[in-house]
Formats: sequence, C-alpha cells, structure tokens
Amino acid sequence: MRVNTTKMRNLQTRDAKDPRIFVAIIILILAFVAPFFVPGAFIYLIGLTYLFIILAISWDVIVGYTGQVNLGHTVFVGIGAYTTALLQVPSRFEGSFLSFMAGIPPLPIFLTILIGGLMAAFVGFVIGVITLRLKGYYFALVTAVLPLVFIQFLYVWSDILGGEEGFSVGLEKALAPDPTGRYYIALFLLVISIAILYIILRSSIGYKFRAIRDDEVLAESVGIDIVRYKVLSFVISSFFAGLAGAAIIHYRITIGPDVFDIPLMLLIILATVIGGLGTLFGPVLGGFLIFLAKNWWLKGVAEHIGEFLPLNDEAILYIILIIVAIRAPHGIWSYLKKLIEMVRVKSG
Amino acid sequence: MIDVLLRVLIYGAVVSGIWALAASGFSLIFGVARILNFSHGVFFVLGAYISIVLIKNLGVNLFVSYVLAVLLVGLIGIVAYKLMMSPIREHEVMVIIVTLAFALLVEQILLIIFGEHGISVPSFVRGVVEIAGVPVTMKRVMAFLSAIVVIILLEYFINRTRTGKMISAASQDPEAAMIVGMNVERLFVITMFISASLAAFGGLLYGQVFAANPIFAVKSLIFAFAIVILGGLGSVRGSIVASFIVGYILTATITTFGARWGEFAVLITIIAILIFRPTGLFGVEE
Repeated sequence: MRVNTTKMRNLQTRDAKDPRIFVAIIILILAFVAPFFVPGAFIYLIGLTYLFIILAISWDVIVGYTGQVNLGHTVFVGIGAYTTALLQVPSRFEGSFLSFMAGIPPLPIFLTILIGGLMAAFVGFVIGVITLRLKGYYFALVTAVLPLVFIQFLYVWSDILGGEEGFSVGLEKALAPDPTGRYYIALFLLVISIAILYIILRSSIGYKFRAIRDDEVLAESVGIDIVRYKVLSFVISSFFAGLAGAAIIHYRITIGPDVFDIPLMLLIILATVIGGLGTLFGPVLGGFLIFLAKNWWLKGVAEHIGEFLPLNDEAILYIILIIVAIRAPHGIWSYLKKLIEMVRVKSG
Repeated sequence: MIDVLLRVLIYGAVVSGIWALAASGFSLIFGVARILNFSHGVFFVLGAYISIVLIKNLGVNLFVSYVLAVLLVGLIGIVAYKLMMSPIREHEVMVIIVTLAFALLVEQILLIIFGEHGISVPSFVRGVVEIAGVPVTMKRVMAFLSAIVVIILLEYFINRTRTGKMISAASQDPEAAMIVGMNVERLFVITMFISASLAAFGGLLYGQVFAANPIFAVKSLIFAFAIVILGGLGSVRGSIVASFIVGYILTATITTFGARWGEFAVLITIIAILIFRPTGLFGVEE
C-alpha cells in the first residue's frame, strides 16, 4: 500500500504541468471542431468510432484491470441494444407471448439507453455471481459460450427480435436529427464514460481490481473480498457495454445480429490489446485506429490480398491480433508512455 | 414413445463418442500444460477437411488419407503450440486471446476456400442396419466403434505406458515433474500432438456421419466446454463420462424441441453444474 500512496502523491504533484493533460485538451478541441472541416460521411464514421471505443475501454476494465478474461462482451452490447430497440418499438411484441409489452408508453430515448445499460449490468451481475467465485478458467469458458447461445435467441424469437435481418427503430428515434448532432452526443458519451471509468480506476476500487489481477491469493490475504470486487468490475464493464450498445442502435437506427457477433468481439479485443491491456487510454487510441481502419480502407486492402491468398478483411484482423499479442503483448500505449518519459527527461 | 427413446439412445451414443474424442484432447492439454486451447476446434475441422482434400482432390486411398489427416493435424498442433502458445504460456489472458483469434482465422480461411455449406467426408462403409428396430447407418456404427476403440487406447496409453504416466504426473504437478528430471517441454509437445490428433479423428468421424462445416472451428467449442466443465477441468476420464451425458442431453433436446434449442440446453447444463457442483464430476479442488 505504501507504494500506492507514494505513486498517488507523485501523480498529484505532477498534475499541474503534466503534458498528458495538455495533449488530452488538444485532442478534445480537435474532436470538437472536427465537424467543421471533415466531410459528413467521415463524421458519421468517427462518431460511431467513439461509441465503439466505449466498448473497448469497458472491456479493459474487467480484462485489463481485473484480469478476468471476458469473451462474451458482445452479449452485453447486444442486451443493451435490443433492450432499447424493443422499448422504442414496442409494436414488435404484438401477437407474441409477450404481447402485453406492446402497450408500454413511449419513453425518451436517453432513458431507454440507460435502461439498456442497466439490463446489461443486471445480466452481468447474475453471470458474475455464478462464475466469478470459481477459478478464472471457468469465467473464460462460460463467457465464450454466451454469445453463441444468445445469438440463437434472435432466430428462435425472430418475430420479435428480427432474426438475421434485424429491424429499424426509425429515423425519428435517432440520437439527434442530423449527423453532426449525433456526432456530438457520441463524443459526449465517450468523454463521460472515460471520465467515470478514470475516476473509478484511480480510486481504491481500481487498486483492488489491479491487486486481484496481479495476485489473487495475496489480494485475498490482505482482506480484499475478491469475488465481490470481480463481480463489481464485471457489472461496471457490462453496464458501459450495454450503454454503448444501446447508443449505437440510436446512432445508426438499425439493429441486427452483428451487435452480438464474434467479429465485433474480436474487434474489441484487437483494439484493446493493440492499445495496451489495463491502460484505459491505450484502448481509446487502439479503438480509434482499429475501428477506422476496419471501416475505411481495410476492405480495399483485403480485396487486393484476396486475389492471391485466401484471406478477407476479418482474417487479416485476426492475423494482426495474433502477431501483436505474441510480439507486443503490452500494446502501443506502453511504448508511447516510454516515449513521453524520454521526452520529459530530456526537456526537464 | 419407445422408438423415440431408442433412437435417442442409439444416435446419442454416436454423437457422444465423437465428442468424447474432441473433449478428452482439450482436457488433456489443459490438464498437462494449463493451456486453455480455444483453437481446439480447428483441429476438429481440419481433420475432416484435410482428409476431404486428400481423397477428393489428390485421389489418395481412404484409409491412408484418414491416417495422414490425423498425423498432419497432430503436427499442425505441435507447430501451433511452438509458435503461438509456448512463447506466451505464462500469460493466460494472451493464450486465450491468441488461440481464439487463430480459431476464427482458420474458420474464415476455410469459409473462403470451401464455402459455408457442409461437405461430407467419404466413408468406406455404406448401408443401413437395424438395431432394436431403429434403422442406423453403417457409418454411425463404424464411427461409434472406432471412437470407443480410440478412447480405450487413450486410457491404456495414459495409465499403462511410461510416457502416459509421465504426462499424468506432469498434469498433477508440473514443477515436481521438472524437479524429478522430466523434460516437461517435451511432454507438452507430445500431449499437444495427441490432443490435436484426437480432435482430428473426432472431426473425421463427424464429417462422415454428418458433414464438415467451417463454423465448427468455433462452434464445437461450446460442446467441448460443456463437457470439460461437467467432467471437471483437466480430467480425461471425467470428459469421457461427461461426453455421454452432454451427448444424450443434446440428442434428447434436438429430437424433442428441434436443433435450435441444442445450444440452450448446453448452456443451461453448464450453468447448473457451476451452481451445484462447480468442480464437475471428477474435477480436483485446486
């Protein structure tokens, strides 16, 4: 604990002229003025990227900070997404065994997005209580199975949930009427999420998460209720996944199985691992790069490679992930940090 | 009613035998090297696809192709271990991520080459026999019998041979095994070979009875996980027994409710085990 307090004191004294705060402010200003000189189609994509980044940083909370491998993050994204979609379009319940739900009054979008997050957190709590009291392996196995099972719900109840095609929530249920408005709401949600997670992870709760990750036995012996904090971490992580999943639906107006699917899971993993597990800001950077790359130019590159090798854009992402995880398991954030330290030492 | 029960009993046995091959290999490498190999399903599908290529494209004799496919997949297992698992073995999180990414990579490549429709592995038996009034294809009978033979061989290998006993010892305490002078790394390689070959053989049989499909590179993990959790992580004998329980639950659910509910039944089984008996049937408390 003594190490921690000195570390915290260092942080406090450093805060005033910390270059990181300077950089953060510049990035924030850039993000804020971007709609004035970036074409509309890119603004749409960048806004979606912000929401994707929330998925990456929330995954980092349970995996990077608490050391529990959650392979079912998309289940919580999907739960949040379908919760808000169904609450906004209750007519989909008509004629089903849940037809009483069709009569629920229209709710504001931001309330149903929040409910989406809470639903995800609740499911996370139930699954966490069952699996996190056991060895870490069980958690990985169970969460890996979850997306494969939950995606079956979409087909079994395709009348309500829309099956393979999904459904649209309608343009009037968008986050904002125009793309620029939606962009700013996405940016706002991202900044709020980063701020809340930063505060949690810098608090004593965050230190307990890391203590559990680094040495479970030791953490327990110094009196940390490890099951309780693992579950708490999982609930926080699931909440933000559900929240972002729900926001994504109102950002792009359509919902479909892709919010549950494994390719999204791998994209989240790739973004976080490339950024650096357990660094919070690493996944922000990783998420930004990976999501833009995937949706902007990767398909073109993959088509060229696909002419002479049996690969597509997804396969290329998996190859990148394998190489990064083996060769640079600490991610780019740790390199950047070293670089910043070097610059500071030289200039200071 | 009776004929439905009989059908479940007979068909379930075939499915269970095949899953026992896949799950015991998964359990073996976890027990010995503490590697949660999420790419285990890759070996399962590769067993089927490699033999299909050997038979249909290269015209190799059926038996020779089966044997070659199983051995080749075993070697692929060793290469995968050396390149992807051994360098990061201490970092459990990364092992899981890398092996899962590898499984998805192979799935994508197979989808591009073979398409999303299942392909059957040619079989050397044909025809139908009647067992207690239920018509059963000879392929199923063969698959069941050969699965049982291989499982018995595996049991014999682990419990009776010197290498098998060393593997068993290393799985109980890798450090102690190292102290008494065993070459643990070599044991891991051998185990990986056996584990991958078992999965390949399972995939081969599955591809004959049903069809090989790229999605099994990932989807087969659901069943493998359910089996190893029920059997107890790391217990080979547990996995074999659990295969039959999960196999029967699966067959019974699919015959009564339809194929879509198979995954739910498996998930409910997993959750129920974790609530009531988290160490599984044969698992050891760690």
